[in-house]
Amino acid sequence: MAVTRVKPSAMARHEARLAKIYLIPAFLGLTFLTYLPLLSVFVLSLFKWTAIMPKPLYIGFNNYIRLFTKDMFFWTSMRVTIIYALLTVVGSVLYSLAVAMLLNRSIRGRGLFRAIFYVPYIIPAMAIYMIWGLLYNKDFGVINALLVQLGQPRAGFLIDSKYIIPSLALIAVWTSGNLIVIFLAGLGSVPRVYHEAAEIDGATFWKRFVHITLPFMSPIIFYNVLLSLIANMQVVVPSLIYAGSNRTTYPEYTFMSFLMYRTGFINNELSYASAISFVFFVLIGLFTLVLFKGSKNILFYESGGN
Amino acid sequence: MGIQSRKKMERLADIFSFSAVVLLALLVLFPLWWMFRSSLMTNPEIGSLRFFPSRWLVQNYPEALEVFEYFKYLGNTMSILIPCVVFGTITAILCGYSFARLYFRGRAFVFGLCIASLLLPSIVTLIPLYVGWVRFLGLGSTYWPLILPYLTGGGAFNIFLVRQFIMTIPKELDEAAKIDGAGSLRILVQILLPSIIPAVIVVALFIFIGVWNDVLLQTVYISNSEQYTIALGLRRFNGSYGTDWKLAMASTVLSILPGVLVYLVGQKYFVEGIVMTGLKS
Repeated sequence: MAVTRVKPSAMARHEARLAKIYLIPAFLGLTFLTYLPLLSVFVLSLFKWTAIMPKPLYIGFNNYIRLFTKDMFFWTSMRVTIIYALLTVVGSVLYSLAVAMLLNRSIRGRGLFRAIFYVPYIIPAMAIYMIWGLLYNKDFGVINALLVQLGQPRAGFLIDSKYIIPSLALIAVWTSGNLIVIFLAGLGSVPRVYHEAAEIDGATFWKRFVHITLPFMSPIIFYNVLLSLIANMQVVVPSLIYAGSNRTTYPEYTFMSFLMYRTGFINNELSYASAISFVFFVLIGLFTLVLFKGSKNILFYESGGN
Repeated sequence: MGIQSRKKMERLADIFSFSAVVLLALLVLFPLWWMFRSSLMTNPEIGSLRFFPSRWLVQNYPEALEVFEYFKYLGNTMSILIPCVVFGTITAILCGYSFARLYFRGRAFVFGLCIASLLLPSIVTLIPLYVGWVRFLGLGSTYWPLILPYLTGGGAFNIFLVRQFIMTIPKELDEAAKIDGAGSLRILVQILLPSIIPAVIVVALFIFIGVWNDVLLQTVYISNSEQYTIALGLRRFNGSYGTDWKLAMASTVLSILPGVLVYLVGQKYFVEGIVMTGLKS
């Protein structure tokens, strides 16, 4: 059979050209939806630009000076965002690891339970906050009905400063069923022989957890913590729903993303909102960096790196 | 500790973990039950501790449909969702294929940019993207700012997923076809695509979840109530209706139904997809 031989170089050139054609969507996305906007956030933050101004006016770092020294909301927003993110990350990782370990025992109906724990993840955010809005409601909510039954005073879980952040964090933990599935898959890959050997040597559950399970799971835990942190730092939806309508809202709802949204889209100060975005970007970058650095000593890989 | 007592301990631990799992599962399902039972009650009864409605008020649903224009909202949501899923999946396959199989100079660099963008919180670029779509391109109060981003592979993550999946397929398979003179698009469609169907479904499901879940972008880009999606329609209950809880809960039940159906059909792939994303990266 006669095969027409194409010169390798010509074939390679052809392949490279095709690749570039297929990758046009990715090029466009990376350029115009990712890196150029990232640059524009910083550039825009150096200007003054409100709804009534036709053209932006260059003002240097004034937006940042205003943000750090004059804005009464900024430091509060940073504080509540970090508290919320820490609570949700720790809460969801502990909760899902615990549930995954329980399910990892040979439990009857494991598939069904896994499906149940996963359900909250597929409920759209707006519906989730509607449902919890009712559960937490001061007059109609079940928790308050229970409190009254127990002779306790009613509590405003979504309107009382001391309850808002923990209440919102609990909702986030409830929706973290996807982590359970990931952890469960990870636990399945821990070789059983290690556990059996340790058991014969009389190691307690806690010892086995610390010396076998945790080291094997560390890359997965790290991955989940990182993703969960980046996602939860961006929290904005509960504020949009529970605090969106009134402008003088509780400081506990003024998460950084919400502050940015309110500044940009309600107060129409797009460039000042860009300054908030950029500070937020740097803050998350720092957190990610710290996580990566800190994880170097803890992470354990079965085959010595990969 | 003797074998006998250790066996006893094992059994005790089994009973304990099973009860704990059942208890936790009930707690997880409780909010959903509460939503459903409240959707069939009178407003005063909603505030009680009753677990079941004293009378099952099915008529709450037709009444809810009068204030919550479900079918209009569903239609609007679908006209965003379907193009996103279709175009996002197709472009993700094309890009993932290129990164996996086609060599060109600078490929590692472009792929690196792609992976790095995964760590970028999407909310950071919200303002400049808004300025771009609305002020420069004049696409305010249209669905385009919500749909067009999905024509770029539906996000770096999906591209990465497809690439990883194609890389697990032996290269000899498409080399052979190449020698037989098959073009790269034919190789992709006829040889690779059938073996990466699970990844394709996972990508489609993730795009579905992403759009289905979205509140922020829809809030930013949609202002006309004729264009409201399910999420935005639901949100009105917190304002204009002084929260009529029975109608709010009936509407919430209606609005989670399509997602639950998709979940039931694609459940196996959902779980597989989550596992894939958790372990392969």
